[in-house]
Amino acid sequence: MALRSDFEHGRADSYRIATVIPTDDDNRTADGHLKSKRRMPPKPAKKENLEDLKQELDIDFHKVTPEELYQRFQTHPENGLSHAKAKENLERDGPNALTPPKQTPEWVKFCKNLFGGFAMLLWIGAILCFVAYSILASTSEEPSDDNLYLGIVLSAVVIVTGIFSYYQESKSSKIMESFKNMVPQFATVIREGEKLTLRAEDLVLGDVVEVKFGDRIPADIRIIEARNFKVDNSSLTGESEPQSRGPEFTHENPLETKNLAFFSTNAVEGTAKGVVISCGDHTVMGRIAGLASGLDTGETPIAKEIHHFIHLITGVAVFLGVTFFVIAFILGYHWLDAVIFLIGIIVANVPEGLLATVTVCLTLTAKRMASKNCLVKNLEAVETLGSTSTICSDKTGTLTQNRMTVAHMWFDNQIIEADTTEDQSGVQYDRTSPGFKALSRIATLCNRAEFKGGQEGVPILKKEVSGDASEAALLKCMELALGDVMNIRKRNRKIAEIPFNSTNKYQVSIHETEDPSDPRYLLVMKGAPERILERCSTIFINGKEKVLDEEMKEAFNNAYMELGGLGERVLGFCDFMLPSDKYPTGFKFNTDDVNFPIDNLRFVGLMSMIDPPRAAVPDAVAKCRSAGIKVIMVTGDHPITAKAIAKSVGIISEGNETVEDIAQRLNIPVSEVNPREAKAAVVHGAELRDVTPEQLDDILRYHTEIVFARTSPQQKLIIVEGCQRMGAIVAVTGDGVNDSPALKKADIGVAMGIAGSDVSKQAADMILLDDNFASIVTGVEEGRLIFDNLKKSIAYTLTSNIPEISPFLAFILCDIPLPLGTVTILCIDLGTDMVPAISLAYEEAESDIMKRRPRSPLFDKLVNERLISMAYGQIGMIQAAAGFFVYFVIMAENGFLPMKLFGIRKMWDSKAVNDLTDSYGQEWTYRDRKTLEYTCHTAFFVSIVVVQWADLIICKTRRNSVFQQGMRNWALNFGLVFETVLAAFLSYCPGMDKGLRMYPLKFVWWLPAIPFMLAIFIYDEIRRFYLRRNPGGWLEQETYY
Amino acid sequence: MPTAAEESIDAFQHYYSRPPERPKSRSWKQVIYDPEEKTYCGRTVDSWAKIGIFYTAFYGVLAALVAICMWVFFQTLDPRIPKWTLDRSIIGTNPGLGFRPLPPSDNVESTLIWYKGTQHENYKHWTDSLDEFLAVYKVPGLTPGRGQNIYNCDYNQPPPKGQVCDVDIKTWNPCTKENNYSYHKSSPCVFLKLNKIYGWIPEYYNDSKDLPDDMPTSLKTYIGEVEKSQNHKLNTIWVSCEGENPADQENIGPVNYLPIRGFPGYFYPYQNSEGYLSPLVAVHFERPKRGIIINIECKAWARNILHDRKERLGSVHFELLID
Repeated sequence: MALRSDFEHGRADSYRIATVIPTDDDNRTADGHLKSKRRMPPKPAKKENLEDLKQELDIDFHKVTPEELYQRFQTHPENGLSHAKAKENLERDGPNALTPPKQTPEWVKFCKNLFGGFAMLLWIGAILCFVAYSILASTSEEPSDDNLYLGIVLSAVVIVTGIFSYYQESKSSKIMESFKNMVPQFATVIREGEKLTLRAEDLVLGDVVEVKFGDRIPADIRIIEARNFKVDNSSLTGESEPQSRGPEFTHENPLETKNLAFFSTNAVEGTAKGVVISCGDHTVMGRIAGLASGLDTGETPIAKEIHHFIHLITGVAVFLGVTFFVIAFILGYHWLDAVIFLIGIIVANVPEGLLATVTVCLTLTAKRMASKNCLVKNLEAVETLGSTSTICSDKTGTLTQNRMTVAHMWFDNQIIEADTTEDQSGVQYDRTSPGFKALSRIATLCNRAEFKGGQEGVPILKKEVSGDASEAALLKCMELALGDVMNIRKRNRKIAEIPFNSTNKYQVSIHETEDPSDPRYLLVMKGAPERILERCSTIFINGKEKVLDEEMKEAFNNAYMELGGLGERVLGFCDFMLPSDKYPTGFKFNTDDVNFPIDNLRFVGLMSMIDPPRAAVPDAVAKCRSAGIKVIMVTGDHPITAKAIAKSVGIISEGNETVEDIAQRLNIPVSEVNPREAKAAVVHGAELRDVTPEQLDDILRYHTEIVFARTSPQQKLIIVEGCQRMGAIVAVTGDGVNDSPALKKADIGVAMGIAGSDVSKQAADMILLDDNFASIVTGVEEGRLIFDNLKKSIAYTLTSNIPEISPFLAFILCDIPLPLGTVTILCIDLGTDMVPAISLAYEEAESDIMKRRPRSPLFDKLVNERLISMAYGQIGMIQAAAGFFVYFVIMAENGFLPMKLFGIRKMWDSKAVNDLTDSYGQEWTYRDRKTLEYTCHTAFFVSIVVVQWADLIICKTRRNSVFQQGMRNWALNFGLVFETVLAAFLSYCPGMDKGLRMYPLKFVWWLPAIPFMLAIFIYDEIRRFYLRRNPGGWLEQETYY
Repeated sequence: MPTAAEESIDAFQHYYSRPPERPKSRSWKQVIYDPEEKTYCGRTVDSWAKIGIFYTAFYGVLAALVAICMWVFFQTLDPRIPKWTLDRSIIGTNPGLGFRPLPPSDNVESTLIWYKGTQHENYKHWTDSLDEFLAVYKVPGLTPGRGQNIYNCDYNQPPPKGQVCDVDIKTWNPCTKENNYSYHKSSPCVFLKLNKIYGWIPEYYNDSKDLPDDMPTSLKTYIGEVEKSQNHKLNTIWVSCEGENPADQENIGPVNYLPIRGFPGYFYPYQNSEGYLSPLVAVHFERPKRGIIINIECKAWARNILHDRKERLGSVHFELLID
């Protein structure tokens, strides 16, 4: 069905093909795994949607006669609808506006934050606390409120972190709201013969609307009257050329026929009158937007990583919790005690502050990226860009400056390069030769473009121009070369003009000359070079007029070919001084029935224009490539232009040939070239239409440098899916509405902040505020950095889990008094560890992160077994040793030598025992030994802080020595001071003994952890020294995370 | 020699081979032993050995580090004198009281002395545990170092350094082993002892005119009598046992203290001398009401002992239930 009408329909049909091509995403990755589990059910809906889209496009509004059309809508070309009918239609069809994509209700978002991630586990902990408390309260007379207290603390922790992440999320979604178009759009409508100005939303089917240049088309309309009407369909089809529209039916395909204009495209020239044939979501644009919002985007890579990590940690917590619950039972503990152990193990195992830390780290990076013109809509997208392995970039505006600029001139039989850089820093050329003077006179005069008013301070190249892009380019070029163009035009008054049209392919104007003594009129002409040449008999070379012989024609052809081969749009220029005897002053020139010569003119030269690449792009592309990111250009432009730009920005690197190049070089037919030999490929949209997914895979796999030209931008979707099939993480840039399905489908969609349409911004995850490709590179860099830094941050946070959980295990297994309490654990997780963990987000990259390949989403995990092995198995163990050492020191110094402690737990924790004997025969009351125990908790806590100093410093780097990395991260240095001050505050602040059961420590009790702190530091420096010395060695395989 | 940039671009050329297949999900059997790759739990024997050696070495070194730290730390400790004492230690200067017999050890949270006075089997636990507790008092050899350094202390004859005082419990009739500590008569004896705190010196209430208001009147009278008759015995940490609530005070009946109503001052300060035994007071509840729980709080009285019922400071709490 999709291929039914391929051949007759030309390229615009590719849109239909593109959207119905049978390479539907089956929600599986390349190797057949489900990409996301979440959204399988909406699958059929999407299919329907696609089917729907295709069918509804088979409209016949453009085919029927106007009369039938009026009949159908009960409207009239002059009088329009009746008010009553309009009201009826409005009530039936609703307002003419796109339905905004469905928003998740705020409370659902809030609940997700409140119950997602570790929150569930903590809720369970809190509920267990309340249960334990209520049971205790109902059975014993004076229940300790420890459990109640802990339950409240846990709930508070969950709620606060939930509110925090919700706040962060809603803050980033608010960014989007600022992009919504607040200015209401108006349309001129004829109803009951009256011209009304209505809000575009109030348009209904059958309304007769008037559109003039500069307007946005308010709905899909069938044109019934047009004067010189041109529309810019670029946001719909990607064609950047304005297209003329008129009442005549020219094509079966609604998108191609001349008598339809579409919602939200722009009228650039002329005026028109039309009948509204579809509104709102039923418009072509509306359906694309609807398709985009129906696409399944799946989870972002970082979300996958975090889920993976949460599952891992939750698994460990539940496993340990249940195991020790059972062990406690077997050991004969009361079940209520076992429940309390369970709570302790859960609390110790869950890094409560970690998710908040991750959110803060991502937010910090998002802020940093925003300051570099990458606005991130979805926090998680920050990292996605870092793992991107393929970028499908649009050409116009992203890679290029999006303004035609004169690049080359040919006169006096030589090609002169013009300056195309944005800041005019390029080469200068001789502006005094007679050839240039003649050429510039034509370019200045035979030109209708004018600068718009009120732009005095703006640099010439950035000024806005009314008129066609090529003319604007000429105008700017001339303004730069000659100065005040408007003044020159004034001095050479225009007498007559034949504007450009597509049959003539030239433009002529006749002027008075600025020399008052010369009564002759000047005829200037520009147009398609071959047409201009046909009309010339002489050529102006080095100040002399020569006969245009074969040799000169050859020279012209060479120049034309060369410039055309650069992908530039070439214009020819010629002039002629009309003899004053035949055309005296005051001669009436008739432009309709030409009464002046337009043959045998004097050829002057060529000028060629291109939309030049942005200055920063070649560098950015090179950076991407050295970073292992494949940059694919996808453009609607001509293959030659696309290839030229691709070459000039380095997407096709120097020396790499396409199949066609090889064929040309070896002088053999294209079909005989082995496509594998060519690293580069320029794929035409028409070819793309016929390829199977397998062939597309081949193209994507065997060519490293690919340009997709003449693609209907909807084909982007296929290309994106193709890349994703290869296992790549794809970033897509786009600005049009038609790009939005691809933006949505991509792992990260990048919309353009300036040129982008609202729908594309809605579908994208990130917005480039300056539309500049180079900003993506900074995004990639930041994304990679944050991934590395998150690893470090998680390694840091997870390490303290071992000293947190081991006291519980020792408590249960060795029957010693509890060395570290739940509240102190929370003080570490949510207090002292937070700022240092966040500060790691500010860490500089260890090496050039843009010189390595993108991470593989399958193998390079955020949290892998090596990180766990390091954090839990090695550093965590040293930390636990430090904590226990401090614990035994304090116990021993107060009278309980280590051996005395084993097995003492029951007596220790019994309120009934008021005289527990220590190793020195002293007898301890319940309260005193609890004070001792809590002092031990405090000391254990402090010792964790001390060893975390070293942990923080070693987590700064994964490979380098800290002596190479330096301590320039002031956020981190602050973190070190902060955790210390906080620990001291918690220990020494009066009242903490009541509130948090933290007791003041003797200064010497800070010291026992020091040897262990040094041990951590020295061990890891040695480990990293061997990592650096034996890259890829065993130690790296086992411990490099 | 390719430049770094070229090299990285070359590396990038290879990137677009298909990513390696994700390891297939394996059955449990394969996870434990995969015959194809010869892996046990995901590692080959070789790999297990290497990681095993690594971790053994790592934990070996860590254990050594802990051992060294411990050894160094123990060099700073004195075997007889705690590192920190009194207020510098967390034990503080406010001793509590302890009572014996304690309920069975599997009921460690309880402070209830509950028995039927008529059945030997029923009160056997209590008398046995008292036997055990008092054995060291009866047979000096049971306490290491006790014997040769026992000194016959008295109020005017405090023990010299290194000597300890004797506690003669044999004469405390009816609270003797032979008399089943009077348990069979439903008038049990409960032994009280003051918590030992190294170096703690009591400040005695040795003036009957300067006694705290909350001190029970019976004790006040007693101190007054002692002041009159045995003035030298005033340097005593006095003991009082009362019902906690008015009902308990009614039910508790007359209470007798043996040998005197307090801990003689010459036992203090406790200096962890070899063979030191805490002084005891046997509290004889002569006619406690039967069949009802009696909450009893015993307090030690000295100027530097503060009382707090909730925290059991300077006091002890137990319940008596005689069926």
